[in-house]
Order: sequence, then C-alpha cells, then structure tokens
Amino acid sequence: MSAPTEAGSAAASAVESSGATHPRAGITFWIGVVIGGGVMAFGLRGLLDQVDTTSAAAIARWVIGADLVHDLLLAPIAILVGWAAGRAVPDRFRFPVQAALVATGVVLLIAWAPLRGYGRAVVPDNPSVQPLNYATAVVTILVLVWVAAGVAIAARLARDLTARPR
Amino acid sequence: MARSLKPPAIGPFRPDAFRSPARSERTAAILGISLGVSFTVCFLTGIYSHLAQYPPSWFHLSARPAGLYRVTQGLHVATGIASIPLLLAKLWTVFPKLFAWPPFHGVASFLERISLLPLVGGGLFMLFSGLANINLWYPWPFNFPIAHYWVAWITMGALVVHIGAKATITRDSLRRTTRDPESTVATSDAAPVPVTGLTRRQLLATTFGVSGLVTLLTVGQTVSPLRKLALLAPRRPDTGPQGFPVNRTARAAGVETAARADTYRLEVVGRVPKPVSLTIHEIRGMPQHRATLPIACVEGWSANKTWEGIRLRDLLAHAGIRDARSVRIESLQQHRSYRSSIVDADQTSDPDTLLALRVEGEELALDHGYPVRLIAPNRPGVMQTKWVARVVVL
Repeated sequence: MSAPTEAGSAAASAVESSGATHPRAGITFWIGVVIGGGVMAFGLRGLLDQVDTTSAAAIARWVIGADLVHDLLLAPIAILVGWAAGRAVPDRFRFPVQAALVATGVVLLIAWAPLRGYGRAVVPDNPSVQPLNYATAVVTILVLVWVAAGVAIAARLARDLTARPR
Repeated sequence: MARSLKPPAIGPFRPDAFRSPARSERTAAILGISLGVSFTVCFLTGIYSHLAQYPPSWFHLSARPAGLYRVTQGLHVATGIASIPLLLAKLWTVFPKLFAWPPFHGVASFLERISLLPLVGGGLFMLFSGLANINLWYPWPFNFPIAHYWVAWITMGALVVHIGAKATITRDSLRRTTRDPESTVATSDAAPVPVTGLTRRQLLATTFGVSGLVTLLTVGQTVSPLRKLALLAPRRPDTGPQGFPVNRTARAAGVETAARADTYRLEVVGRVPKPVSLTIHEIRGMPQHRATLPIACVEGWSANKTWEGIRLRDLLAHAGIRDARSVRIESLQQHRSYRSSIVDADQTSDPDTLLALRVEGEELALDHGYPVRLIAPNRPGVMQTKWVARVVVL
C-alpha cells in the first residue's frame, strides 16, 4: 500500500472493505461520476422514451430482481456448496473438486433453457431451434468434467505415494 | 471511526465471516479488468448490431466486408457467454463487501455504492436476457431489443462510475508483487487465519478455464469447424432445412399458401419509371448469378452458403433505374416485425446482393424463403427478408 493511504492499515482496510473510494482516487472518481452518470442518464432517457411505464417498471423489476436473485440465492448457494466441499474434501484434492463444481454450476446455468426446452416451446414447428438432446449433452459434459477432476486427484495421489518412500 | 454504529456482529456481518484467501483485491482487479474488456466488446458489437437493425439517418450499413456482421455478432454472443463465469466469480470475490458496515460514509462512498445496483443488476440482466434470447425464450413482459439495448447504456454508465472509483485501487493491487495470499479478513487476532479453499491463482485458473470451456461448447454455432462441440448452443449451423437453421418458419409467418400460389408476383414499385411485375418463370428466365455469403443471425449463429438468383441491381435496371438507390424489400408476410427491410444504395448496387431462388444448388426450401429471398453482404439475418413480394424504390 502506498504512502498517502498508510493512515493505519486497519483503518485503510476497513475503508476498502466497505467499498469506499480509495482516498487518492478523488479526481478520477468524480470524472467517472460525471461521465458515467451522463451515460446512465442517456440510457434511462432512451428507455423511457421508447417504453410505457408498465414496461419500464417491469424492466426495473427484472434488473433489481437479477441482483436480488444473485445476492440472496445464487451466491449463498455457491458459498455453502464451496464451504461444504472444503470440509468434505482433503486440502490437496480441493482444487480439482471445487473447479469441477464451478464448471458444473456454470454449465447447468447455461444449459437451463435448452434443458427445459423453453425455446422449443415458443416455436414448436421449428426443429432447428435447440436441435440436440440436451440432457445427454449435459450428462456427457459433466462426466468429462468430473473424469478430468478424477484424473487430477489421481495424479496428486500418485505424487504423494511416490514421494512417501523418501 | 468514532461515530460509526456498532456493526451487527452476526452471520455475514461478522468481520471474519468470509475467510477465503482468494478474495483479494488482486483477484477483484484481474477479474474486473477482464470484465471491463468483455463488456466493452459486447457493448460495441451490440451498438453496431442495433445501428444495423434500427439505422438512424446518419448511419449507412456498408456492403463490405461481407462477413463483418457475422464476426461482430458472433463475437457479441460468444463474449457474453464467456462473461458469465467471469461476472459470477467477480461477484463472489467482492461478496463480503455487501455486508460492509456502515454501508457508506460520505457522499462519494454513497454514490459509489448506489451505482453498484445498476452495475450488478444491469450486468446480470444483460447476460441473462441475452442468454434467454439466443434460446428464443422470453419469460418477461417487455420488448427484448429495447430493454437489452437501453439497459446496456445504463450498465456501461455504471461501469464508468465503477472504473473511476476503482482505478487507483486496481492499479495499486496489480503493482504489488506480494506472493502471499492477501486476506480481506481483519487479522486483529495475532493467529494467522487458516487458509481454506482455493488460492487466488486456483480461483483465477478455474474461472478462466470454465469461461474457455463454455465458449468451446457454444462458439461452434458460428465457427463451423467447432460445430460438433457446440453441445450447449441453441443452434447448429448445419442443422435445419437444407442444412442450416431457420428463425421463423413459413407457417409461423403465415405465408405457406401465398408463397406457393400460382398468382405469386415479384413487383418493383415506388419511385420507378416503369413498375415491373414478374412471375416466378420470368424471374427464372433472367440472368442468374451466384454469391457465397453468410446468413448471420442476431442470436449469434451463422452459416456460409452459396446462393443463386438475380441481382437486385439487374431487377432495378429492368424497372428503368440505372443509379444506386435505396429500396425497401417487403415480404409476403402480413404481420409481425421484420416483414420488410431497407437496403441502402451501397448494398443495392453490390454485385453480390441477390434476390435468391436457390441455395447450394437446390431450390429454396419454403422455410428459407421460397420462392424468392433477399441475400446481401453484411446484413443481420432478420434483414435478409424471406418470401419477397415487393421491392419499393425509395
């Protein structure tokens, strides 16, 4: 940490962890507020020019809702799963297991709509939309992901075993 | 902080609630810069697509390079998908800050924190709505292009505010070369906090690895050598009637009867010296030309095909027009959006701009626009109007 902020590392880290402006960022911050605020105002103005109040309210609900669903649902689930995996899995196997968990979660998120057939339901007479069997596709991907994690664990185990005699 | 309220020391508000060493400023900085790049690419390519589809008076869609829209829109969707793990990892990294106490101190910190709502909500909304749209899934009661376009401006504005607020801290955390994992946990108790979970490098490797993985599993919808790997893509460039996808079928457009009727005529009307009305046989009798052009959808899939038909400029010459003019191409389709599209003078005069009758040596399938469809260089797929009935000279 550079000199001007060295007002006592506890206070500095408290400022940082509360998401506050870095003390030296004064001018940069206000330039950002003016330009960014202008761009946001342009976007808001454009939106309100093109949609009625019902749609604008629905869009606001979806934007704020996206934030709430993440903060109250997705993030706590991810943290709990990560925490549980951390307890259940020995230290040196944690990386492959947690990496595979992250891959599993993201693959399921992206596959959600095709897995549920949401697009196909809109255009039932169009077989070129979501043409695959996505359940098979997702199972195949996840099997490969976990096989890769298994190989990484086995490699670590093998390293441990060969290192032991010494 | 003498005046500060006592933090509620429960649950996530406890100072040691989050103790992963991977949640460092450096992690946040690296992920933040990556997202800054990917969101900027998404934004610029999105603006280009929006201008192409809803051109203001000052914008003219150029005919060349012919594959430009294919690249920009493929990049738009691929970058959006690649951003999903990046954004989730970034939010995981800074999650403890959600519980910072007091929530703000002073005007600057209030503005900085309040701008996180449009930034985080907007970022998540952009990625979710884009992902739903490429699946043709619309679970909301508003118009997708309008919402996706304007919320993008709001999100990018919030991103500028955020960059202004974090520029210095980001630069400092990247300049620091400390090797030990920096913990965000206040280590007032002398005992070192036990290291649990991933290290910073492992977290970053996981995030970028998963980002690469989901890119590989979807990008084949536009990069055809990778099409067999596109297991999570909602489209395959080789799947559909005549081996490529369809967005709106003839039945959905309500043109099944009109497109096959003997009474079908292709008309050239509007500001023309001599209006023209041609039967399908007369069109087949005109000089046929061939062009290899991509059909590139706004939803991110694309396929390169060889088309055959008459040049739009030859048809206009037939109607007595020798100079480059803008036209509106109208479909047999009576209702809904995208029943017509504008072709700028630059594209009308291009030798590859065809009213196509055939693709890959076969007569066009009904779902691909039989009897006649527009195919021109560098256009969004929804503007390659199918079931063409009328060319209106503007």
